[in-house]
Amino acid sequence: MANLKEIQRKIRSVKNTQKTTNAMKLVSSAKLKRTEELAKQSKVYAAKITEMIDEIAANIAKQGEVDNIFFKHVANPKVVDLVFVTADKGLCGGFNSQTIKHVNALLQEFKGTDTKVRLRAIGKKGISYYRFNDIDMVQEISDLSAAPTYARAAEFINEVIEDYLRGDTDKIIVVHNGYVNMITQEIRQDQLVPVDPTELVQGGVATSELEVEPDDDDTLLEALVRRYLEYSMYYALVDSLAAEHSARMQAMDSATTNAKEMADKLTIQYNKARQEAITTELIEIISGMESMK
Amino acid sequence: MKTMKLEIVTPHGLVYDADVAQVTLPGKEGEFGVLPEHAALVSLLDAGVIMIDAGNKKEINVAINGGYVKVDEKKVSCIVDGAVALTDDDGALSARLEEAKELLKKAETSSTAIATAVGKVESIAKAR
Repeated sequence: MANLKEIQRKIRSVKNTQKTTNAMKLVSSAKLKRTEELAKQSKVYAAKITEMIDEIAANIAKQGEVDNIFFKHVANPKVVDLVFVTADKGLCGGFNSQTIKHVNALLQEFKGTDTKVRLRAIGKKGISYYRFNDIDMVQEISDLSAAPTYARAAEFINEVIEDYLRGDTDKIIVVHNGYVNMITQEIRQDQLVPVDPTELVQGGVATSELEVEPDDDDTLLEALVRRYLEYSMYYALVDSLAAEHSARMQAMDSATTNAKEMADKLTIQYNKARQEAITTELIEIISGMESMK
Repeated sequence: MKTMKLEIVTPHGLVYDADVAQVTLPGKEGEFGVLPEHAALVSLLDAGVIMIDAGNKKEINVAINGGYVKVDEKKVSCIVDGAVALTDDDGALSARLEEAKELLKKAETSSTAIATAVGKVESIAKAR
């Protein structure tokens, strides 16, 4: 019976797939635990340094004249740098496509205006998408999102900051898919520089004039802002990695469930076919006996 | 008694977060004390010991290896690279003191600053 064999082969293949997806799910959940811990630790620091920078920005804005380049707002930015983080690997549901969709929406938003948007891509998936669609990127980094380190994140963002300081770009925006919990990811979009104090809750802002010590304030503020940018980038990468693992875990979990359902369905089909074959054989035997009489 | 909020954060998490009466910080240009309603200030921190007067005659010391501080009327936020709180909650003070000395010795700053800070940690150890 060719049909029976066919079904049996299908069952075996589906069960193999199930084993693979299940293993991938386990790997992702182990990795997620580690990354989640890392993300949690760095979240506090990232949040505090952001808060601090925002407060300084609000304070500087209040004092009127803004001569620090990191806090100076350009009314009509000519060039906006868009840094976005995707994964190096697929098989993680809509994780990468969500980020790409958001980036596309931003690109669309800027299209009608005079503003030029430059893309800086982190992660193979995003790079290959924009390469395929013939959209230019000024910077492509493909092995950072799978294993983010502070040093490499700093190196990357410093290149971007150099461009900003030279005046090649007026604004830096970072987009990544962030981790909320085991089953939810959320697109996060941050404007790194110029520091935007408008997001700040106004209640906690100091009333006195901000003093900076040591006195050559630009170097201290610059060092602090650089620190903030480096850490924000690092945090975005870690957050994105945690989200990637949780997305993959979820995707692999549903893949395993689907494979199981399919195997069950095929088994029923197989049993039915077997039953049918037996019945046919029986009828043949009985009718043969009848004709002998 | 007036109090202000003090936060000490490292890349590995929050070290200290409570209302305090006074805090003494190791600034790059010398140690300085901060009371509630201090004028807004941003400063560089050297490796050293943050001395916290938590009120009720309770004193807490935190060793740090450098960073930044932002002061305003209601709040002091320290962003540091590494910190060890020299508290004796669970009897592990001597281990923490050792840890603090290690942290200070590795700090990237002048040797005098390190020596002063280590000396301070040692005097805290003796006081207990």
